[in-house]
Amino acid sequence: MPTFLHTADWQMGRSYSRFETEDGAALVEARFEAIEKLAQLANEHQCDAVLVAGDVFDAQTVSDRTVRRVFNATRGFSGPWVMLPGNHDAALAESVWTRAQRLGAVPENVHLALEPGVITLKPQGLAILCAPLTQRHTYGDLTEAFSHYETPESLLRIGLAHGSVQGLLSEDIDATNPIVPDRSDVSRLDYLALGDWHGTKQVNDRTWYSGTPEPERFRNNEAGYALVVSSAGPGAKPEVTSIPTGRYQWHQWREALAVESDLDQLLQRLETLPDPSVVDLRLEGSITLAGEARLLRALSVAEARFRSIRCDRSQLQLEPTDDDIAGLKADGYVGEVIENLRDRQQGDQSEAARDALAILAGLLKGREEESRQ
Amino acid sequence: MKLQRIRIEHLRQFRQPFVLGGLQPGLNLIHGPNESGKSTLVRAIRAAFFERYRSTAVDDLRPWGDSAAAPTIELDFEHQGQLWRLTKSFLQRKRCDLTVGTDSYSEDDAEEKLAELLGYQYPKRGVSKAEHWGIPGLLWVEQGTGQDLEQSVEHAGDHLKSALNSLVGEVASSGGDELIDAIRAQRDTLLTGTGKPRGDYLQLERDRAQHQQDIAELGDRIVGYQEQVDRLGKLSQDYERAQSERPWEEAQRQLEQTRARYQQVERLEQQQSQEKATLAQLQQNHRLLQQNKEHQDSLGRQLVARKTELDKAEKELSLAQQQAPVVANRLSDAKAAYAAAEKKIKLARLLETRGRLEVDIQRLEQQEQLLTRNLTKARDYQNQVDQARQQLGVNRIGAADVKRLKQVAHQLNEASIRSSTIATRLSWQLEPGAALSLNDEPLEGQGEQQLLEESSLSVPGVGTLVIAPGGDELASTRRKLKTLQQTFDDQRTAMGVDTVEQAEDRLLAFEAAEQALKHAEELLNQVAPSGVALLLSSQSQVESELESAKVQLQATPRPEQGESVPALAEAEAALVRAGKELDEAESGERGYQNELLIRKQARENAKAEWQRLADEEQSPERQQQLQALAQDLENSVKQTVQLEASLDNREREIRDARPDLLLQDIERYQNTINTLRQTQESRERELRDIRVRLEAWGAEGLEEQLNDKQAELEQCNRRYLELDRRARALDLLLTLLTEKRQALTRRLQAPLQKHLDHYLSVLFPQATLEVDEQLRPGTFTRGAELGQMNELSFGAREQMGLISRLAYADLLRDAGRPTLVILDDTLVHSDRGRLEDMKRILFDAASRHQILLFTCHPEKWQDLGVPPVDIQALKG
Repeated sequence: MPTFLHTADWQMGRSYSRFETEDGAALVEARFEAIEKLAQLANEHQCDAVLVAGDVFDAQTVSDRTVRRVFNATRGFSGPWVMLPGNHDAALAESVWTRAQRLGAVPENVHLALEPGVITLKPQGLAILCAPLTQRHTYGDLTEAFSHYETPESLLRIGLAHGSVQGLLSEDIDATNPIVPDRSDVSRLDYLALGDWHGTKQVNDRTWYSGTPEPERFRNNEAGYALVVSSAGPGAKPEVTSIPTGRYQWHQWREALAVESDLDQLLQRLETLPDPSVVDLRLEGSITLAGEARLLRALSVAEARFRSIRCDRSQLQLEPTDDDIAGLKADGYVGEVIENLRDRQQGDQSEAARDALAILAGLLKGREEESRQ
Repeated sequence: MKLQRIRIEHLRQFRQPFVLGGLQPGLNLIHGPNESGKSTLVRAIRAAFFERYRSTAVDDLRPWGDSAAAPTIELDFEHQGQLWRLTKSFLQRKRCDLTVGTDSYSEDDAEEKLAELLGYQYPKRGVSKAEHWGIPGLLWVEQGTGQDLEQSVEHAGDHLKSALNSLVGEVASSGGDELIDAIRAQRDTLLTGTGKPRGDYLQLERDRAQHQQDIAELGDRIVGYQEQVDRLGKLSQDYERAQSERPWEEAQRQLEQTRARYQQVERLEQQQSQEKATLAQLQQNHRLLQQNKEHQDSLGRQLVARKTELDKAEKELSLAQQQAPVVANRLSDAKAAYAAAEKKIKLARLLETRGRLEVDIQRLEQQEQLLTRNLTKARDYQNQVDQARQQLGVNRIGAADVKRLKQVAHQLNEASIRSSTIATRLSWQLEPGAALSLNDEPLEGQGEQQLLEESSLSVPGVGTLVIAPGGDELASTRRKLKTLQQTFDDQRTAMGVDTVEQAEDRLLAFEAAEQALKHAEELLNQVAPSGVALLLSSQSQVESELESAKVQLQATPRPEQGESVPALAEAEAALVRAGKELDEAESGERGYQNELLIRKQARENAKAEWQRLADEEQSPERQQQLQALAQDLENSVKQTVQLEASLDNREREIRDARPDLLLQDIERYQNTINTLRQTQESRERELRDIRVRLEAWGAEGLEEQLNDKQAELEQCNRRYLELDRRARALDLLLTLLTEKRQALTRRLQAPLQKHLDHYLSVLFPQATLEVDEQLRPGTFTRGAELGQMNELSFGAREQMGLISRLAYADLLRDAGRPTLVILDDTLVHSDRGRLEDMKRILFDAASRHQILLFTCHPEKWQDLGVPPVDIQALKG
């Protein structure tokens, strides 16, 4: 019973601009670890092969080091790997693949599907019908050729392609590189392993997007998995198991704060997140000075715990309560200024007013604490 | 604050203790004349507060010449129900003690306490100056500075504001100013004064631009890389296709076919040119044959021509021979004519000589007659000359001598006349018969005589009368007359005349003789210019010439009678003509002989030529040659026709093959092959280049670099935006706080204005004086008058200054601050009316403040309503 691991969209060589340097480096590192994890899974599930459905590399010109490290990371699994060029790493006349070959970085057991055709893995009982991208974008269905490929009857016909199944995904995502939804039927495939969509997604019984093994964006689409596919034999319906591979969970929350309990809830939710999380918060509404102090404290704690947490409070107004202001002991014209800033948050300079208010409050509070001591 | 007592000792002129006590809580008028110590008192109060007790710069306090002095000031005053006593000693004993109620302070503590109470500060070193005086500087007016309000207010600034804070307690912020300072400091780390970025903020802005530039460059390089990749794909596709299709081989095949065809045409052209050469040889041969034939034909024609020439020469010779007698006759005639002409000319020359001799003789004869006549006349004129010369000798007299004689005679005459006028005239008219004798000369009848010398008149019978003429001139006149008479007589004798008249007559005769001589000489000169002797020799010469001419004529033969003799010129012309005729005849004869010779020679030559040709024409070899020649010509024509036909055919064949196009085709195919091969080669080269380039670029990991760069940019940008937000927030905050702070200051203006108006209404009922934001009196208006306070007259400024200070005092009092007003000889520039008003104002102010008024004009302040304190009296 042939079994193989289906993965895709490693996007190696990508960096993470939105994070601090240190966090970005850790996230890059996690992607290399994901490859090692895949090799480990392939061994664990006694897979015959690992199929990578495109976008192994994020770009053609990644550094030599990245190229070498990617292939190094596959060492854990000594069975055959089949890597398909996707839109990010298309098999152009000169490509990351030709460079890898020139560097001598490609191990014996890694097959590069640089040309359309069939890679026959007889011992494993697999015939891999490959539809590599040889241009950056194509507007025809590259998998159409699968129908013409003849394979030995004893072998499973496994399609390996990278593109967007027409009509499945929303129109604006990758209109290029189209694939007809019934390709597996039309071309008599036992299984069609797809890449390009970063979340795990089943198209039909025999057609799946594996998604990326390590999430790299906040869009919540079931990223961080690999598929273990096994089949009783040619023509049999494949058994597909989704295995989690991701290290970090990415969370992006848009929250509106109105009353004190909103903040309580938010902080509680933050507490429940596991440590290896990447969090992006964007807060709206209003908050009291006391509430903000709590929020800042909680964020400070979260920063230490999570891989990364970012909180955009530019839309969150500071609404000091009378108690807040009393606490600041802001008398005379300083009090007037606070009032003025509170009003200004509604106007054109809302952001500056909010920040100004925060600064002023900070200074006053500092002074108050000083005098208390 | 109420000052109660002042005690000073060892201070300037107050060497002994001096006490000014019993000061009133209101107005105090303290007076004394100049030098009485009034100013010292004021200085003492100031020193007690402003000068550090340990200051070494207060030597002015020391009594004159007393280096051991310790100037000491003691002040008692009451403030807020507590009694304050300040004792301060300088120089030799530096001390400061202050008791407040039951508390006591000393040294620096005491001084700080005072400074805090009154609101001033101490100098860091040296003497206290205006900028340290704070509020007292405003309220304690030194002599002559009452008008300089602005500086005082500025120096009081901070003290004033903090003193007044309590007045506006509900709006002032505790620590607001520190807050503003803190925010300004934070803002200033990000922004410049004009709101431009600085420091980190500026650096981030620059970094961001740098990153953006780097990214753009990387982007460009990536685009370049991708273009090269595309080019590589396209190129390798083209290369492979060309490599499998090998289009240059097809071109090669076509090239070879075309070359074969061209070679064929070349062979034809070769044959053609060989045949053309053959034809040319044939034609050349034909031409030679024809020439030969022509040559043969010409021999007959030449024989005829020679015969004609011979006949012509014969004829010409005979014609010439016929002319021989004509030529001989013409020569003999000419010779005869020439001899006749020669004879004629000889005759004509003889006749010519005779005529000339006859004319000479006639001329000579006339000449001889004329000479003879002249000789006669000459002799006559010579006689005249001799006579005239003799006359001249007889009458020789100088015209100048005559003139001189006449002058002397004239002078003599004049002298005589003068002597007669002065001479004693002796007239007498004697009776007839009576005789007298004068100087022994008798006088008779009637007469007169002038007497120039003593004369004796003898009257016969009577005696002798001596008459002596008188007069001074008489003697000189007599001498001069005598001299003149002497001269006259000498000259006359020399000239040989008796009288002047006689001299003149002789001069006339002399001049006439001169005239006659001149005339006779002229006449002689006319007839014998060279003298008579020459005339004589000329005459003899002419005579001999005449003789020889007559002899020559006799010798010349006379021509025969009846013989015609032509004129000489005519005869000469005839001889020339005859000579010319003879020359021509002789030359004609020579020419004729020459021509005859030539003709004979020509005839001989012509005959020889004709003979030679006639012999040749008749030879048998020539007949055979003519026959062979005709045969050769016929053959030659036939061959030429054949060859020309062959050439035409081949020419057409070549033309149809279009060798020019074939050549072009060859070039074209050759080029095509080259181009195709070169293109493929250059593809190969470019492929290699691109691969090398891409390998190098690929190794750089451009897109990964770009990713990293973008991350950096984003981080930089994030940080920049944070700072930007912070900068804007701080700026806003600072602006707001500053505005509010200013608004607060403005709120302090109102009470000050109120107090100021209170005093102003007394001084200038219709005027206003506005307080500005710095709490300074500024714009002044009175009716239509508008201006700044410092534009007013000195007196008015002083008055304004004083009421402003009083207004500040009121404001300070409202704020619970101590107020003590000290005026040192103030308002000296005010007129009586204003001074009255000012007195009212001071009296009014004194109900709220203690005022110490020092003056040296107590009479001006009599009506202030308080008893004056006389320093002099106190000293006493």
